[in-house]
Amino acid sequence: MVEPDRQTTNEIEAVEAEYIDNPPQPRERNNDSSAMPRPAQPDVYDEHPVERRRRVFTYILLPVTFLTVALLGGLRLSDPDLAFVFIGPSLVCLVFAALMLVLFFRAGLIEFGEWFSERLPTLTLAANGALMLSLFAATVQLFNSLLPERGIPFWVVGFCFFWSLWTYLFAEFDARKLVRSLGALLGAAFVAKYLVLANLTAPASEGWLQGIFQNPTKEALTWLLDLPRYSGGTGYVQFFTLALYLAGLFLLPRSPSRKR
Amino acid sequence: MNERIIQISGIAVTGAYFLFVVFLYAAQPRSLDEVSRKAATTIQSAATRGQVIIGTYEIDRERFDEGLAAFRREDYVLARDQFEKADPEKRDARTQFYIAYSFYRQGWGRVSNDDELFGRAIEAANRASALEPNFRSTDENLKLRTPAELRNELEEGLKVTPNDFNPLKIFREKK
Repeated sequence: MVEPDRQTTNEIEAVEAEYIDNPPQPRERNNDSSAMPRPAQPDVYDEHPVERRRRVFTYILLPVTFLTVALLGGLRLSDPDLAFVFIGPSLVCLVFAALMLVLFFRAGLIEFGEWFSERLPTLTLAANGALMLSLFAATVQLFNSLLPERGIPFWVVGFCFFWSLWTYLFAEFDARKLVRSLGALLGAAFVAKYLVLANLTAPASEGWLQGIFQNPTKEALTWLLDLPRYSGGTGYVQFFTLALYLAGLFLLPRSPSRKR
Repeated sequence: MNERIIQISGIAVTGAYFLFVVFLYAAQPRSLDEVSRKAATTIQSAATRGQVIIGTYEIDRERFDEGLAAFRREDYVLARDQFEKADPEKRDARTQFYIAYSFYRQGWGRVSNDDELFGRAIEAANRASALEPNFRSTDENLKLRTPAELRNELEEGLKVTPNDFNPLKIFREKK
């Protein structure tokens, strides 16, 4: 429709605009390689900066995050000299980690078929395998971090973990609910070990006799529960480890090779 | 960076970091300073094993000469230390023979011998003969030239015989 006040004659309108001598021409898709350095049909995802960042994040930063968890999960600081003590994972940590990965697959947090599909190139499969290995190592070491080292607390907390993971295995979960449930479970284990049990442990700086007179309850509980005497700094390191693991889990893509 | 480069970098970074974590748990350093020291030791040990595997292993001549000089000065503890550093993989019959000899001379006594040192000397002599069954030392200062002779002397020293109570035994000489 033509508006009534619009002039439809051949009058020239004065328009303020910049003159461009050679306006950009749309790129032609032909076979001339000198005129067109890109492939004939470029993959828009390969060149997209967001996609590139996503790949760097998935294949480099996420494994580094998970392996940092694997590094710190077994680290304790001795009391009182703050020397590093690296504790290897017990066998039960591997069992729990395997159960956890099965949970991830069942809840759809990881789509196994897309991580390890036969349609994927070998290099992508290897890169996905490396990411999966780092996730497994981090999960093993997370349990190493949260399980008490020995004695009755080891068995009690270990049983709680086993019971929870076993019941989760038969429950209907979606990925979001699973991460929330695991966050609560792991958080509770952290509180039990690094707040409750750590506060029941008599400090190593006290002698045995001094401990009996000054902190008889703590000394008795340390002896009865066979609690290891680590520095308070251990709790801070393990809090960071747990936070890093949960952050990595939250940022883990369902399928690392899927393009947006 | 295309997808392949990112994936290759990811695999390389993950592999290297994983090995670093395994190294830390195996080496058990107690401080950050100890991490670099243990890493250097591990790399040196791996390099020596690599030389053994590819057949280019050689003892450290300089340390061996220092050990030999200490051996001739009768400083057997220092000599053994230098010999062990010269041949960390225990692959050289001559070095092992000198180690055995240093144990023998240190453990030898006019009245009684040190059984523990003699036992360790036998182990080293056995290693020397296993490495080179026909080994014969060219050192003029040694009276026992072969691992078999040395082992025989050591085994005689470990036995308790009526001859041990002979008072003239104090006039015998160290070989």
